[in-house]
Amino acid sequence: MGEDTPAASVRLAGATVEVPLDDSPGRDRTRTILGPVDLSLDQRRISVIGANGSGKSTLLRLLNGLVAPTSGTVTVDGLDTVRQGARVRRRVAFAFTDPLSQLVMPTGREDVELSLRRRHRSRGERRRAAQEVLERFGVDHLADQSVYDLSGGERQLMALAVVLATDPALLVLDEPTTLLDRRNTRLLRELLHSLPQSVVVATHDLDLALTAERTLVVDAGRVVFDGAPVEAVACYTALVDES
Amino acid sequence: MTAHGLFTAHVPGTSLLHRMALWAKLAGVLLVGATPWLARSVWPLAFVSVGLAALVALARLPVRLLARSLRGLLPLLLVLLAFQWWSTGLAYAVRVVLGIANAFVAAGILTATTPVTDLLDGAARAARPLRRLVDPEVVALTLGVVVRSVPWVAGSFSDVRESARARGLDRNPRAVVVPTVVHVVAFARSTGEALAARGLVDPGDEGGGATDADR
Ligand SMILES: Nc1ncnc2c1ncn2[C@@H]1O[C@H](COP(=O)(O)OP(=O)(O)OP(=O)(O)O)[C@@H](O)[C@H]1O
Ligand SMILES: [Mg+2]
Repeated sequence: MGEDTPAASVRLAGATVEVPLDDSPGRDRTRTILGPVDLSLDQRRISVIGANGSGKSTLLRLLNGLVAPTSGTVTVDGLDTVRQGARVRRRVAFAFTDPLSQLVMPTGREDVELSLRRRHRSRGERRRAAQEVLERFGVDHLADQSVYDLSGGERQLMALAVVLATDPALLVLDEPTTLLDRRNTRLLRELLHSLPQSVVVATHDLDLALTAERTLVVDAGRVVFDGAPVEAVACYTALVDES
Repeated sequence: MTAHGLFTAHVPGTSLLHRMALWAKLAGVLLVGATPWLARSVWPLAFVSVGLAALVALARLPVRLLARSLRGLLPLLLVLLAFQWWSTGLAYAVRVVLGIANAFVAAGILTATTPVTDLLDGAARAARPLRRLVDPEVVALTLGVVVRSVPWVAGSFSDVRESARARGLDRNPRAVVVPTVVHVVAFARSTGEALAARGLVDPGDEGGGATDADR
């Protein structure tokens, strides 16, 4: 890896997500929760803001195939998130709000090793690679503690080390600072800033949103603003005041 | 979360149990798990309990943690005991409950004396002959997640009980069981989603195809 890693390139073409309305037995009625969205994302730092339930998480889940578009397509570096889902997920890492649901092994070290299983079959190599990752993110001193015993901030750092262990090209984060205090929020922001990867982050933390190069505002399933962070925040604030 | 300092976490050591081959330990756990079906009375199960206690001492595992973990399991065992007593009879109820406690301790001994990574490697190797049917890595992963979830479920159970107690409802089994199940299902969903997001349930060497795990 290195600073010269090219930015990941994401394309959404008419991407729409519909969910069945469950109060209509027999009939195939659906509700559109996102889209259609047409976007080309090539910047290294992109933030997504919008009210609760506006569709931010849905938009993010499209980027690594966790949600498939009902119509339209989503590609990452030319790979289709549905037909080439496994390869997309190798390029796109996803971090959730709650690191405890992300960390599936008893300790961070074991979780990093789990990430590396597909890449390193030999146990010795895997161990060495895991140690290297843990040191790179400055969490090697926490690596052998039970994930239950880590603080919220430590857990979030560990979860990031775990998903970044495989050197993805793009990191997608869904509200990574919601459970963090001010200090850990700052640490996380600094870590995100230093990453060579492309980053797409959905957040209610407008200070974090402002650190991006480009900001999307989502409202009622549509991208209603796409541009400079300062203007995006103004647009979002106006939206909130309107309602 | 109240699931601190768990019995199921790995305790490094050099005892006979720590050095024993993984397959032998797994076979032992399976055997302990099977005793309630093999036993005709309570005595063989009680004998197994004593044996397990001896193994805990032999491996120098923290008895305090074991006691605490069992105490966490106790309410669940009591509910089960009452139910089986009512539906089948006391002797049978004791056998079921003792069987579960034994299996819990045996699994705890296994995970306390074996690093999870070894467990995963062992499971993946054991599942290799079945690789036409299932991905060995997925088998290993499932096992790892189960091991990791036991303390979580226990912790969730006692959290829920505490909040039920705060509302004066802790004598009402539904006020405890229903929220626990809801927690566990939500946990399973988010864990499943996190695993899918990490590509860990994708087929090994692929040409394409999203996983059915989506949604
Ligand atoms: N699987 C689903 N089935 C039905 N409705 C869904 C599903 N997933 C999301 N929704 C709905 O779609 C809308 C958008 O949800 P989404 O989670 O994307 O919003 P969000 O912007 O991330 O909100 P928040 O800020 O609260 O996280 C919501 O109204 C939600 O209830
Ligand atoms: Mg969301």
